[in-house]
Amino acid sequence: MTELFPGFLTLSAAMFALGALGVMVRRNPLVVFMSIELMLNAGNLALITYARYTHTMAGQVFALIVIAVAASEVVVGLALITAVYRSGRRLDVDDLSEMRE
Amino acid sequence: MNPTFTLVLSAVVLGLPTAGFLINALTAGKLPRRVITLLGPGVVLGSFVATVILLVELLAQRAAARGSTVVFWHWLNLSVGPAGGAVARSGFNANFTVRIDPLAVLMMLVITGIGGLIHVYSVGYMAEDPGYNRFFAYMNLFITSMLLLVMSDNLIFLIIGWSMVAFASYALIAFWYQRPAAVAAGRKAFVTQVIGDVGLVLGAFLIFLNLRGSNGHLLHTVDLQTIFANVGPGAHFHNGLGPMGGGLVTLIGILLFLGAAAKSAQWPLHTWLPDAMEGPTPVSALIHAATMVTAGVYLIARFHPIYQQAPVAAGIVAAVGIGTALMAAIIGCTQFDIKRVIAYSTMSQIGLMIFAVGVGAYSAGMFQFFTHACFKALLFLAAGNVIHALQDEQDIRSMGGLSTRMKLTFGAFLVGALALSGIPLFAGWFSKEELLSSGLALGPAVPWLWVIGVSVNVLTSFYIFRVVWRAFRGQPATSRAATAHEAQPVMLVPVLLLALLAAVVGFLNIDFFGFHPVTVFSAFLQPVLGTPAARASDGIQALALVIGTVLSGGGLALAWAVYGRKVIAPDLISRRLPWLYQLSLQKFYWDQIYDVTLVRPTLACAAAVREALEPRFFDRLVDGVKEGVTTLADDLRTMQTGFFRDYALIFFVCAVIGLVVLGLRLA
Repeated sequence: MTELFPGFLTLSAAMFALGALGVMVRRNPLVVFMSIELMLNAGNLALITYARYTHTMAGQVFALIVIAVAASEVVVGLALITAVYRSGRRLDVDDLSEMRE
Repeated sequence: MNPTFTLVLSAVVLGLPTAGFLINALTAGKLPRRVITLLGPGVVLGSFVATVILLVELLAQRAAARGSTVVFWHWLNLSVGPAGGAVARSGFNANFTVRIDPLAVLMMLVITGIGGLIHVYSVGYMAEDPGYNRFFAYMNLFITSMLLLVMSDNLIFLIIGWSMVAFASYALIAFWYQRPAAVAAGRKAFVTQVIGDVGLVLGAFLIFLNLRGSNGHLLHTVDLQTIFANVGPGAHFHNGLGPMGGGLVTLIGILLFLGAAAKSAQWPLHTWLPDAMEGPTPVSALIHAATMVTAGVYLIARFHPIYQQAPVAAGIVAAVGIGTALMAAIIGCTQFDIKRVIAYSTMSQIGLMIFAVGVGAYSAGMFQFFTHACFKALLFLAAGNVIHALQDEQDIRSMGGLSTRMKLTFGAFLVGALALSGIPLFAGWFSKEELLSSGLALGPAVPWLWVIGVSVNVLTSFYIFRVVWRAFRGQPATSRAATAHEAQPVMLVPVLLLALLAAVVGFLNIDFFGFHPVTVFSAFLQPVLGTPAARASDGIQALALVIGTVLSGGGLALAWAVYGRKVIAPDLISRRLPWLYQLSLQKFYWDQIYDVTLVRPTLACAAAVREALEPRFFDRLVDGVKEGVTTLADDLRTMQTGFFRDYALIFFVCAVIGLVVLGLRLA
């Protein structure tokens, strides 16, 4: 098991980087959301790998909390996306820029 | 016992109602009605079949070997780790395990068997309700939660089941959410349950934190069998929960009983049960008579090793039980709502069970639970037939003369009433007399407790036959009562089956080859609950039996004299002892007491905070924050481009810079 840990961490880093890239380059808010989820789960993977490595519980518990936070975040986010869609707008993050100065 | 077979059967028992709930809930009524009708009761009856197979399998074992633990999955397991890693801190795990032993199987039989009959009955009772599928979804959820509660062999899952039961009960009491009274009753039940949950959870924490194994080390376990094996005083000084001079284990016993009292509607957490009658009648039969309210009895019977170490806590349990039994029986004599009479009767009968498990007569308490589940579900369902026939009329003053038009329902209700009053050869007679006489030998105060118990029985047969005479005999009081007609077969068959059970299940406890009235049932439960520590001599038991039976019959005769022959005026008590009548009619004023001592001070406190703190402190705080933010925003807004990717880029670049700086400093 132990020899797999570097692999898990590499996978986690790769997932995180892909997620970050997705957040920055994609324009569909749904895809952006999925990218954020990818990043969160990359974080979870790293947390659990280290928890397993050190035989402590903190990482696993923290991963559970991250999952809960991710769920709440999706609830709010999807509600926003639905609200935008209902107002008849195109779903494009670059179009949604009224908040600029 | 074949472990794989047991595993599969336990999974079926738990899984079927869960599946029923999920399907009914997720399809949100899109399924054809016929499918819902088959699915709702079907899963519960399937569960019942699996339980019966488990029972047969259990009975095939030697008595001592009855009981096996099934691990569904491993969870939070810290005891195994690869060699060479860091040292595992403890042997903690929270595996999802179920325990299949006589006590659990008895509870499962009642939950799925009686529950299944009530589901079938609901097909008729709820037929015209727009929330047909929602009703079955909640009912299946309740069955799942209750099964989880009684099967779990792990404190964590027991508490999960315990709380899910409270939620399902809330959802079902407040099922008719358009009625403000139903919603208020559901909320009251849930709040009361949560108070009890706090007690249970604190008790569980104390067990977890303080239990020591035979080598004196803290165990930190949530596994029930490990807890029970180590809870007693052992060879080692620091064993079990003893080192704090018994105070700790007493505290645990009291905290657990707080949970049990909330579930089982015992004083001081009893006020929710009568209000819960706002729910549909099958709900009252399933939850507030047969299963959920007996969870407290189960909890104390299951945790009896702890109560055996804590005589003070057990004494409190017994005293509260018998006190609640007497109080509820007195209240039951003056109520006019047919369901409320039966609800107070439930509270009273459960008080007797709690008394039994408090004095250590665990199998007597469980036997009373078993017979009570049969005849009380019967009474509720028969009352449901009456209510249905009278278009939701629940007041016995508006009934009368129903025995001629609803012959079968009347017969069933009569069987239930006879069983409840403890008339010989009906189920209640066996369990009640065993319950009361098994407590006789246990201490100097017990004869007095027996006297109270017998008075409860007298009152019980009085109030239930008061209902029989006022609702079913005499002249119809209203035109609706005069035109009532018998219920449809789908509602009648479960009632008649339950009537059959209420008439015969008492014989389960008879050893036909000896005098002792108590053997078969307690022998079945003996591997879990042990044998009672002491028992009265046969002579005293026989005497107690005869006196108790005669007095119960006396209560029946009194009801007949008052409401049947009318030789005694019904208002005798209200004229001669108005305070007693008012005390009973107003339910001992507990609702008013709680209103004055708890509800109003809380509301007043909230109002005071709103008046005093809100405008002067919180509003200013919020205003100040608003102004601060506005000022700051004026300065910062030039950074806002409105493009999401810019923000993300800034964020990531900063994060990378931060990480690099951190890495350099660490390196």
